Amino acid sequence: MTTVVQYILSGLAIGGIYALVALGFHIMWSSAKAVNFAHGDTLMIGGLLAVYLLAAGLPLGLACLAAVVAGGLFGLVLERIAVRPFLSQQGSVGWMLTTIAVGIMVESFATIQTQGYARPLPSPGVASSVHILGAGIYPQELVIPLVAVVAMLGLRALQRHTLVGRAMRAVAHNKNAAALMGINVNAVVAFSFALAGLLGAAAGVLVAPVVQASAAMGVLPGLKGFAVAIIGGITSAPGVVITGLVYGVMEKFVEGYISTAAREIIGFSLMILTLLVFPQGLFGKREVMKV
Amino acid sequence: MRHLTRHLTLAGFVALAAILVIVPLTSGNEYELRLFMLFLIYGIIAVGLNVLVGLTGLVSLGQAGLFALGSYTGAIVATRLGFDMISSSLIAALVAAGFGVLLAYPTVRVRGVYLAVVTIAFGLIVENVAIEWQSLTGGTTGLTSIPSPNAFGVRLSGYAFYGVLAVLLFLATAAAHNLKVSRYGRAMLAVSQSEIAARALGVDATAMRTLAFVAAAVTAGLAGTFYAFLNSYISPDIFTFSDSVRFLLMVILGGAASTFGPVLGAYILTYLPEYLQDFAVWQKFAYGALLLVVMFVMPRGIMGSLAAGLKRLVPVPRAVAASEGLPAEETLRLDPRAQKSELVARDLTLRFGGLTALAKASLRVKPGEVHALIGPNGAGKSTFVNTISGFYQPSEGDFELDGIQLAGKPSHEIARAGLSRTFQNTELFGEMTVLENVMVGYQQRLGYGLFAALLRTGAMRREDAECRRAAIGLLVFVGLQDYANEEARFLPFGLQRRLEIARALAARPRLLLLDEPAAGLTTQEIDELEAMIRRIAALGVSVLLIEHHVELIMAVADTVTVLDYGQVIASDAPAVVQENPRVIEAYFGTSLDHATPAEVTA
Repeated sequence: MTTVVQYILSGLAIGGIYALVALGFHIMWSSAKAVNFAHGDTLMIGGLLAVYLLAAGLPLGLACLAAVVAGGLFGLVLERIAVRPFLSQQGSVGWMLTTIAVGIMVESFATIQTQGYARPLPSPGVASSVHILGAGIYPQELVIPLVAVVAMLGLRALQRHTLVGRAMRAVAHNKNAAALMGINVNAVVAFSFALAGLLGAAAGVLVAPVVQASAAMGVLPGLKGFAVAIIGGITSAPGVVITGLVYGVMEKFVEGYISTAAREIIGFSLMILTLLVFPQGLFGKREVMKV
Repeated sequence: MRHLTRHLTLAGFVALAAILVIVPLTSGNEYELRLFMLFLIYGIIAVGLNVLVGLTGLVSLGQAGLFALGSYTGAIVATRLGFDMISSSLIAALVAAGFGVLLAYPTVRVRGVYLAVVTIAFGLIVENVAIEWQSLTGGTTGLTSIPSPNAFGVRLSGYAFYGVLAVLLFLATAAAHNLKVSRYGRAMLAVSQSEIAARALGVDATAMRTLAFVAAAVTAGLAGTFYAFLNSYISPDIFTFSDSVRFLLMVILGGAASTFGPVLGAYILTYLPEYLQDFAVWQKFAYGALLLVVMFVMPRGIMGSLAAGLKRLVPVPRAVAASEGLPAEETLRLDPRAQKSELVARDLTLRFGGLTALAKASLRVKPGEVHALIGPNGAGKSTFVNTISGFYQPSEGDFELDGIQLAGKPSHEIARAGLSRTFQNTELFGEMTVLENVMVGYQQRLGYGLFAALLRTGAMRREDAECRRAAIGLLVFVGLQDYANEEARFLPFGLQRRLEIARALAARPRLLLLDEPAAGLTTQEIDELEAMIRRIAALGVSVLLIEHHVELIMAVADTVTVLDYGQVIASDAPAVVQENPRVIEAYFGTSLDHATPAEVTA
């Protein structure tokens, strides 16, 4: 029983990270029909920068806030230099290659800076663990899935009640019609990439105290976040968040009862299987090909 | 220019063969030869990956995974079952092909960009299986007892092994080139430039993308086995994500879609790390930076940029001689036994959520007639067209062409059944030439298979020559022979519309669906269009014309069907429909005494 509770709770924690990353993919895809393939590195930027800023003497809260803002800026800049030049070319995957290129550069630069070592990020959330039904867990880990759910609800509120949010929905629905209505599509796309960057960096800051910050910390969450977006249906925000949480829990069980290697094998095979059975993802809308 | 290109390609193959023969004779030591052999292996991977990246425009970031899969399969088959290197590599290629289908098919039918993610994940799956399945793969320590290179029971010397690799790279390059200039290559390019138009011409987009990925998987599988034999030792940590990026970079740097680009890219990226050993920690960074630079400075890669430069020096004559073409009448002549060309749609209903776009719309296009479908904006005309061409699935009702039930079939099958269409917003294959666009239309009439294409057999060349002549004839038919070698995207709008008609005709349709062909044309162009529609109908091809331009309709249509709010409100001879009070009301809101629909040109 204790083991089961333990797996569920730590699964929800890592699942919350996947959910935040996947939510970022959802936001970018909705507005641009393109994503930042270096999105996993946003997470690393958040985590590592928080460590460095703290070491530079900033108070913890401020360091984390600045790191999250930096993640948002990364998304913004990347959209401008690596994505936008290719969006107007029909069927171009140039944005995929350029964002991958930037991701490789950022990650290898971080590897050189950290010399490959992981750095701890102290946080009151990991000062001492709490016990729930016999399972020991850090308060930090309990917070992560809550943040993911709040982020999803916040996104929904943003899209329903603010002008920029409504513009995002309009662009997601039909870019040309939105442009004709006077919406600055480029600005909306840039905003979406920045928002996704904020969420990604926040995920990095949240997870760094638990797993330590390192140059490679974003690689697997980035990839799994995308897998979660595919399984959940990249067009559905609640879909990807729920899937993220479930995926995290499933991982912990496989890891606990079989092995770490089996965790990746089963997780990614599930993604391919989902594509075969539910091409639009579990919660995604079927897209009608516009002729 | 066609000849110049052909001569240059031939010269390229001769040069490649010469290099492959000379290098082993001049290499000073074993290390140098070994490095060159490593380049040959990478070259094989890059050439296969180019089919995917260059022709279908998709990206794989899991070639290292397929390479590892091939490596392990070959090594296990050789060590456990005692197979020789050649048969081991063939088995590895088969296994890689199987996984290629498994990965690509579910992915590319949803979204091409997913392939990048799925392939990265596959790389991780392979790596973890290799770690986990210790009894078979040796776990993290890997496989060590791989036999020395052998073929058919004979142990191969270093030079003989080199020979095998050199021949393989040469053949792979030739096969990829042959594929590119065959109907498969044209179909892949077409899918990457306009999936919609490709499907409407009978091209199975999912099958073409899957095929391209399988080509990339097979070469990676083959190369993997040879790598295992070259290295005589493999372990899970040899095959990294960074290698996948390097393979992709080889293709992009050398020139995606070019014949020799991937080989050149593989050469550069095999030798570059040798010179940059002092900067080992920056190596990954350099790959990223190089990829970024190539994407912005020369997106077509080295060979692509050279080709573009050559084109500027020796401009291609735009025109082809009309005499080269087969008369369009001959191309379009239908099999007299099947000469019916009748479309019947019964009670077609289509709902988008709460909106009923089509409500029990029925329509019959009689054999050989020009049938116009008109109606105010939002009446459901486009929905009707997209439904009978298979892009939308009807909620209720069915439709058939000459008795063949088509409702529920995907668009490429409907196209193959004899229905061709044009598009309201033109959907050309922009970066292909005008002539190639029409040749894609001819696609489904070509009978040669994949192996004939790879080997470029005599029969295949005859068929392709026939296809080219027919396409030229159709260009003459629509008056575009002077633009044959121009890229389609550079044509003025009016000519783009004509090209769409020629391309649709190339499929030898029994029913031609023209979706607002007069929109945006000048008065003179509309007159020419009118004459063209008459000539098409005279060949026995039924025409379904969706138009707003009433004068054109009155001039060419035998029957006019009027849609309003998704319902058919009239269907009769033009003059009768013109007087129909319901039609007048649909256009003007209320019946007016002095107005006739003929004045409506909206």
